[in-house]
Amino acid sequence: MKLNIDGLLVYFPYEYIYPEQYSYMLELKRTLDAKGHGVLEMPSGTGKTVSLLSLIVAYQRAYPLEVTKLIYCSRTVPEIEKVVEELRKLIEYTQAQTGGTLNFMALALSSRRNLCVNPEVSALRFGKEIDGRCHSLTASFVRSQKQRDPTVQTCRFFEEFDAIGRETPLPPGIYNLDDLRTLGRQKGWCPYYLARHALGQCNVVVYSYHYLLDPKIADLVSRELSKKSVVVFDEAHNIDNVCIDSMSVTITRRTLERCQTNIETLNTAIEKIKETDEKKLKEEYAQLVEGLREASVARETDVYLSNPVLPDEILQEAVPGCIRNALHFLGFLRRLVGYIKSRLRAGHVTQEGPAAFLRDLYEKVCIERKPMRFCAERLRSLTRTLEIADITDLSPLTLITNFATLVSTYTKGFMIIIEPFEDRTPSISNPVLHFSCLDSSLAIKPVFQRFQSVIITSGTLSPLDIYPKILDFRPVTMATFTMTLARVCLCPMVVGRGNDQVAMSSKFETREDLAVMRNYGNLLLEMSAVVPDGIVGFFTSYLYMENIVASWYEQGILENIQRNKLIFIETQDGAETSVALEKYQEACENGRGAILLSVARGKVSEGIDFVHHYGRAVIMFGVPYVYTQSRILKARLQFLRDQFHLRENDFLTFDAMRHAAQCVGRAIRGKTDYGIMLFADKRYARSDKRGKLPLWIQEHLTDANLNLTLDESVHLARHFLRQMAQPFRREDQLGLSLLTLEQLQSEEMLQKIQEIAHQV
Amino acid sequence: MDDQGCPRCKTTKYRNPSLKLMVNVCGHTLCESCVELLFVRGSGSCQECNTPLRKSNFRVQLFEDPTIDKEVEIRKKILKIYNKREEDFPSLREYNDFLEDIEEIVFNLTNNVDLDNTRRKIDMYQKENKDTIQRNKIKMTREQEELEEALELEKHENEQRRLYLQKEEQLQQMMKRKNKQELLDQLETSHLPASILLAQHKGRSVQVEMQVEKPKPFKTDTFSTGIKKGHHIASVPVTKIEEALYQYQPIHIETYGPQLPPIEMLGRQGYLNHVRAASPQDLAGGYISSLACHRALQDAFSGLFWQPH
Repeated sequence: MKLNIDGLLVYFPYEYIYPEQYSYMLELKRTLDAKGHGVLEMPSGTGKTVSLLSLIVAYQRAYPLEVTKLIYCSRTVPEIEKVVEELRKLIEYTQAQTGGTLNFMALALSSRRNLCVNPEVSALRFGKEIDGRCHSLTASFVRSQKQRDPTVQTCRFFEEFDAIGRETPLPPGIYNLDDLRTLGRQKGWCPYYLARHALGQCNVVVYSYHYLLDPKIADLVSRELSKKSVVVFDEAHNIDNVCIDSMSVTITRRTLERCQTNIETLNTAIEKIKETDEKKLKEEYAQLVEGLREASVARETDVYLSNPVLPDEILQEAVPGCIRNALHFLGFLRRLVGYIKSRLRAGHVTQEGPAAFLRDLYEKVCIERKPMRFCAERLRSLTRTLEIADITDLSPLTLITNFATLVSTYTKGFMIIIEPFEDRTPSISNPVLHFSCLDSSLAIKPVFQRFQSVIITSGTLSPLDIYPKILDFRPVTMATFTMTLARVCLCPMVVGRGNDQVAMSSKFETREDLAVMRNYGNLLLEMSAVVPDGIVGFFTSYLYMENIVASWYEQGILENIQRNKLIFIETQDGAETSVALEKYQEACENGRGAILLSVARGKVSEGIDFVHHYGRAVIMFGVPYVYTQSRILKARLQFLRDQFHLRENDFLTFDAMRHAAQCVGRAIRGKTDYGIMLFADKRYARSDKRGKLPLWIQEHLTDANLNLTLDESVHLARHFLRQMAQPFRREDQLGLSLLTLEQLQSEEMLQKIQEIAHQV
Repeated sequence: MDDQGCPRCKTTKYRNPSLKLMVNVCGHTLCESCVELLFVRGSGSCQECNTPLRKSNFRVQLFEDPTIDKEVEIRKKILKIYNKREEDFPSLREYNDFLEDIEEIVFNLTNNVDLDNTRRKIDMYQKENKDTIQRNKIKMTREQEELEEALELEKHENEQRRLYLQKEEQLQQMMKRKNKQELLDQLETSHLPASILLAQHKGRSVQVEMQVEKPKPFKTDTFSTGIKKGHHIASVPVTKIEEALYQYQPIHIETYGPQLPPIEMLGRQGYLNHVRAASPQDLAGGYISSLACHRALQDAFSGLFWQPH
């Protein structure tokens, strides 16, 4: 269908459209017009992806000079593939409508692990191994060695690509990961480098968050992306954690020990090169005297996405004299590693800022701040000169140098926490140094500064105003969209008490209470008798799940539940969990129905959808607060309060509620789907918790559904399920929650659509 | 560290947890008791390299690798002599060369390379730069100053925060106490039944809490789909209340001025030609230029025909 969005012709590849999709596109268009950033929340299963794609692609076609590229960031590989497939549909439809071929190129990019076609390399198991092996076959010095000595191994796919593929442009089209691999095999080109090379010329890129947010990777892959790009972060409710993780460093004793071996390796390499090829070391030395000027020229012309790890002023200067010589640099690293080792030996917990750390470093081992800053860059230069093929071996040392550069660059927004042992096992010494980033805005700042429009969107972003705060940016549009429904297909309720009137809560004081556990068990039992097909239960932690399941077993509740449905349990082991999931789906398919017990923040709660009969009810046992005793969390909370005036409790509740919403949202993946959302904790009834749920859940969570007893909830569920079991056809939806083009154009409907968006 | 031990008596940290390893200028380790035993007279030579040592120069080994201890020791001594700052050099390059010289000297001294020459070089330098060394002894480097400043600031902020929190807590406590006292007073004096007073009190204390909690930003009473907040789901029958319906009468305001053109007509009648066109940034927020124009016209027209009686 062809739509007119505020004067822009948009091709929409379906015959029908949801009203909220239209409203979403309107809002998106305004954001793009204003060249600003936006935060948009739209319920899952209402076609967010296709709305985003069709509007932005149409915008690109209409104003090719304003928006040159769409960068679509998603979380997992299956999600990336889904986006590309949706895009393919859109482009095919557009071509059919316009009757010509579009000069349009889109591609998905993923790690070497997903793209490599070299049979020797791709057979390796871990991503890190594959990266290392690939580097050892394709590094420039290895290839130049090959010219002298033909026995040296190189990758034929890369050679072929370098010889021919670089010059021949990729024909326009849509390339999924599979397509890239097939193309690579067919032509004998390396798909990974082909995709990276094609990034510059394609119209749409789909890849994972890390390619933009992780400074180490972003510098390699994304630095040449044009300023006039639109960046979309989909499923972005966890984006602050991704930002923080990408800037944090954790160092254990093992890391340091491996560093020691790394330093020895480098030492022997230097000795060797001194004997054979001293000229090379001299050249490097001379270059360092001149400084990292080459890199700074490139930055001045604004070709690169700036890397926060290496601030501007460093590039202007030459490497300090004390680490210019390779042997001196090794001595420097030895002292640094020795110092960190001695810090790890302390028997008590220390928490200090970077400033205090640097001062102590100077007092103990006479290392000044300036050489610390150049550490990461210096190591990179050294490995290049020494021609060390397998860089995976050096990863611990790289980690340490990254840490050194970060700690000396930022005095604010970071905290160093040294814990001699884990809280749970105080007798076993296992010292860890956490260099934890507290400020999630640091990693994402270059993205906001560089690109003209950044869209943050997800099904659960409430409360919207907290994201601009913690990511420190000013959006031009912030809107949340509700779901228009022909029938109320979701039934959220808060169960606060059992039949014995004992309050249900996962509060710390009462969670071990037998009565509470029994009530939780009874809830699941009663529900398993009423709800057809699949039920998914979420607990607050693995530990709590273990405890509660054990107590259900003792009380005989588990046996009773098993009379109704089979039970599957998620564990921390990924492989085991995927088997459990598979069997769960099989059992649902079978008709008997099943129960899946899993954990909020776990694998199941984030990436897996339970469409239709796979999830007819979701039960959230307790409020999924994070482990509040963690020192890293405490430091972050304090930082948030000082810097952004966010109260600790507000943030903790926000964090708990976004995970609860994420879990509960797994069940409804479309308008024909239906499901019960049970919040089994009396604390959900409070307005501060309830108010942080997404609007589309909140609007159906009425006062009558708050603080129910077990009986009442079962009664409500039965009533709801009976209603939902009535036949539901497309005609019932048409005109209400599903529109044809004519219906969309009626005055009345346009009026209604305006009300769907809630501006914040 | 557990597997480290004294090379002389072979005691390890594992067998004797209170073992203290000491190191002297030559970088060879000995445990504390061995030091006591061997250096009873206050001086002696190293077991391994025969360097003459003094007992008073023994210090506790900080690092796992004793050579680091030795290097740091030497470095500290050298830095006391070679203490020129960046400001003392005409260009950065020379400063960097100076830094490298220091490294070279430290490296030579720790690895026993070219000892005599190096010592001579140090002595020469010391003689030549006597004044600068003396002068720079008191000064801190700029970087250190920056760090000290940052630390001071951090300390100050922490103190401030602590005070602020204390104050806030006190305030909250006081409010609570006041509220309680009020309730007691009311219960004593008021004629209202106790249940009402208690309910009132509860409402008030919730209010106090909310006040501290922070006001909620959005408060709408209906959702977009037309469902009111607090509306019951179909399963509970709603009792219908019969009442006379309120009838809306549009407000009429006498402006004493000419008739305003309706807002949609402004563009067609050419009024908008005299108004600044809205930029895309304005439009994103929902602003249109006819709004401002209409308001300006209202301002201009109202009261034009007004006559005092």
